[in-house]
Amino acid sequence: MADASTDAATIAREKLRTAMVRLADGDSAALEEIYAATRVKLFGICFRILGDRKEAEDALQDVYVNLWQRADRYDPARASPISWLATFARNRAVDRLRTGKVRGGAVPVEEANPLPDQAPLADMLLVDAEQSAQIHTCLTGLDEKTQNHIKSAFFDGYTYAELAEQADVPLGTMKSWIRRGLQKLRACLEASEVRS
Amino acid sequence: MSQDPTNSPQDDGANINRDDPMIAAEYSLGLLEGEELMAARGKLATDPDFAWRKEWWDDWFVPLTDEVAGMEPSREVWTRIAAQVNGDAASGGADVIDLQSRLKRWQWTAAITSAAAALLLAVLVISPGEVSPVPTDPDGPVLAAADPLVAQVPIGDTGLRLDVTYMPDSEQMLIGAIGLTADGVHDHELWLVPADGSALQSLGVVTPGEVIATELSEDITGNMGDGVTLVLTREPIGGKPDGEDAGPVVAEGAFSQV
Repeated sequence: MADASTDAATIAREKLRTAMVRLADGDSAALEEIYAATRVKLFGICFRILGDRKEAEDALQDVYVNLWQRADRYDPARASPISWLATFARNRAVDRLRTGKVRGGAVPVEEANPLPDQAPLADMLLVDAEQSAQIHTCLTGLDEKTQNHIKSAFFDGYTYAELAEQADVPLGTMKSWIRRGLQKLRACLEASEVRS
Repeated sequence: MSQDPTNSPQDDGANINRDDPMIAAEYSLGLLEGEELMAARGKLATDPDFAWRKEWWDDWFVPLTDEVAGMEPSREVWTRIAAQVNGDAASGGADVIDLQSRLKRWQWTAAITSAAAALLLAVLVISPGEVSPVPTDPDGPVLAAADPLVAQVPIGDTGLRLDVTYMPDSEQMLIGAIGLTADGVHDHELWLVPADGSALQSLGVVTPGEVIATELSEDITGNMGDGVTLVLTREPIGGKPDGEDAGPVVAEGAFSQV
């Protein structure tokens, strides 16, 4: 059973990798294939970060148009395509969140963040179950506060200064909490790489 | 674990070694602002080990997205993407307006990636009234992508100025603030004013007395172009606080092509 689903995931990933390579070679039809395979996951990420459907759809559009313009940036030898795309989407959404604030605050995140109360769609491509388990294991090794701050930086795009303000602690304190956490996290993740 | 020096009750972080791998993590998560951010961007552009480590963190953090529920975007999103990619002028009024508002950006995209030349032609057809520095011959996108853009931003009547140079080839920008000194109370933050009227984009806090090289994100390079305006605002130390309006504009300038 596990093998069957792993195979399916591997096949999906390889198909995606091929489509990414075709796109880099200038085959714009490959974009539709990539969109079909990844939109559900990437839209989920954009929505999680931006907290607003309209903003998230604009971000999603931006992600794929940029992908098409600069598909050559993806190195098929290095990263899994879905993990590269998810990182790309996350970063674009966070950039959008920040530039939006310059204009006078398009989306106050705290207000506009009702998480969709739904299970991940069955056909959603996952980055990697094993890696996912490992980062969770390592994060769980940190104290809960630090875990939450790190996740908040990742998902809400908060900087050190913003996290400090929210937790109502001096900036230096927040930095030392998170840096201590990152130090431990790195040791834990590197240890897992040696084992595998 | 019991010997972990980080368990000290002192919480000033002084015992933590902020080495490059840690800075890479901070950059990957987006924790940095102001000069620290600029410094990390510079390192990313110039130090392969740092770039490798940043990707290492990216790859470890990204599985966190597996716990985010997937969502189905509305159908129009693909329509809009396809319209942009195909330069499909006939796909409806909203798309045309959208494309027009992005004209400037497209011109530059086209100049940078010659593969987009055909698309550029389609965009120009939609809005023939727009002034374009780009020839419309799809076989000859001759605007040299390599020509740097320069801007001088004079500071009041002090005779001092910022010198900003952007090199499209490497997507790097140099900001020279020679002769300026910090007043210890304020920082100055440089902003790009996108030609399409969208939100200002921060180019970072200016470092007085130095020339700093940074690599720009795609979001920003897409808006770079001849005539694009830069403004300098006065901000609290560290740059514009998030959630607040930017400070007063104290200087401005515009890019021109060398």
